[in-house]
Amino acid sequence: MTAAIETHKLTKWYSHRSRGILDVDLVVETGQIFGFLGPNGAGKSTMIRLLLDLIRPTSGSAQVLGLDVHRDRLAIDRRVSYVPGELSLYSELTGRQLLTYLGNLQGGVDAVYRDKLIERLELDPDKRIKSLSRGNKQKVGLVAAFMIRPELLILDEPTAGLDPFIQLEFEHLCEEARTEGRTVFISSHQLPEVEHLCDRVGIIREGRLLAVESIAALKERALRRLEIDFGEPVGVEAFANLPGVRDLTVTDSVLRCTVMGSLDALVKAAARYEVRNLRSIDTSLEEIFMAYYGADDGAAEEVSHAAA
Amino acid sequence: MLLHNVFTKTIRDLRWPTFWVALGMGAMTGYFAVLFPTYSKIVDLNSILEKMGPAAKLMGDIGDVSTLVGFLHIELFSMILPALIVTYAAGMASGFTAGEESRGTIDVLLSYPVSRSRLILEKSLAVVLGSVLAAVVVWILGIGGAAASASVLPPDRLAEALFMLVLLGLAFGAVALAISAATGNRAAAIGAAVGLMVVMYLVDALASIVDGLGAVRPLSLFHYYMGNDPLRNGISLTDAGVLAAVAVVFLILSVVIFERRDLAA
Repeated sequence: MTAAIETHKLTKWYSHRSRGILDVDLVVETGQIFGFLGPNGAGKSTMIRLLLDLIRPTSGSAQVLGLDVHRDRLAIDRRVSYVPGELSLYSELTGRQLLTYLGNLQGGVDAVYRDKLIERLELDPDKRIKSLSRGNKQKVGLVAAFMIRPELLILDEPTAGLDPFIQLEFEHLCEEARTEGRTVFISSHQLPEVEHLCDRVGIIREGRLLAVESIAALKERALRRLEIDFGEPVGVEAFANLPGVRDLTVTDSVLRCTVMGSLDALVKAAARYEVRNLRSIDTSLEEIFMAYYGADDGAAEEVSHAAA
Repeated sequence: MLLHNVFTKTIRDLRWPTFWVALGMGAMTGYFAVLFPTYSKIVDLNSILEKMGPAAKLMGDIGDVSTLVGFLHIELFSMILPALIVTYAAGMASGFTAGEESRGTIDVLLSYPVSRSRLILEKSLAVVLGSVLAAVVVWILGIGGAAASASVLPPDRLAEALFMLVLLGLAFGAVALAISAATGNRAAAIGAAVGLMVVMYLVDALASIVDGLGAVRPLSLFHYYMGNDPLRNGISLTDAGVLAAVAVVFLILSVVIFERRDLAA
């Protein structure tokens, strides 16, 4: 099956700006909701604008729906829709006029479906776009994107400014698209916002794709914070260098550490002593996410602030 | 609602500027045509020009200003109408890509099945139509005014002069389009096109009194626009061809440059 998005060593290099991307190899399978995560300035929008042929790569290549993003531009445009992060629309038009225009450029859309989207997202289509709040403007962009029933939706920070109810409706729309076998590509700097929605996430930082994981695999690799009370003081040596164990501290008879993956080695090491109590605290995906960034990194802080 | 495609949407965007430039140019032409007999009775225009000496030549090649044709040539067609049509065409064309870029609307627009070249061509077609419409308004009001004052203004010659005027506007418009397509900077494009117009106007006007400028005169588009005095003598196909060629070359250049460029976020 053709991937929805496939890039090979995709690179956009800016001499004086930080927003480039470097050697990105990304495959997004069809029928998924894919989260593209990273702090502001990591290169998310650069990546998206390369996929849309708005900017051209320094090197590397990109295919969307198996088509070359530059050579097959119009064929892609007919099957893909896009909501930019900094959404700007013709402010002198009403929402309805804009949707009519974009629908005509598309070569016609299902008006019944479009009106249903307007209703579901509670958009007032007869107000001029210039008088709309950010969230309402975003609704116009979302209706425009969903109304053509695209095979791939590329959404750059789509939920900014949406109220919670509308955000829920937006998530239903994404899930419906997935059910119909369509693909949704969502960029975000907030993992909690998309973790329950996405099947897989890619993590980008400073222009490099750090990891692509299924949410399930991320959860499997969940970090657990463990605290073990022993019946006697224990030495730290007995637990050092165990696989998956980090941040190890031993104070008298209390051991504290974080474990990634299996607890087996730690539990077996602990079994040599009298174990009075064992507490395990599951960490959030947010923390796993931050583990990729490195805790002492400014980027990680940015992510955690954004998520807070 | 004119929202069928980029062409009709651009007509919608240009409707008010086009209305105003057509009304402005048409009203001036009609006004002079209506009042010319009264005006020429009060003032002996030829004698004023004689007193001005060489300075009068700055207004272009002078013919007989005691006729409406000569009067319109000097009063309107040598400077005011070119300035208006060039400002209109360059002002509109400079916004075609750079306006969409600076407003940020280009991202959404180009995510629909509209190629960059079609975007430029459809928008350019709209400004061609707008310029022609403005010229038609000028023609109607000019001919109407001349009829009202029983002055002589040959309809075919007026049409030919307006045709050259439109070509001049489109040539400068294409220059502005190319600059804006290359830089994404609308203000720079308008400024450069209008500045170029002023320089070219001066070169052509001064060349008639300063010998040394004769060699550079062919570089001025005004040379082709005014050279044959179309209001009196009709169109020179060579002159029209040069203006049309400049417009087409810069249009093609705009497309080529814009196709290759990274667009502003």
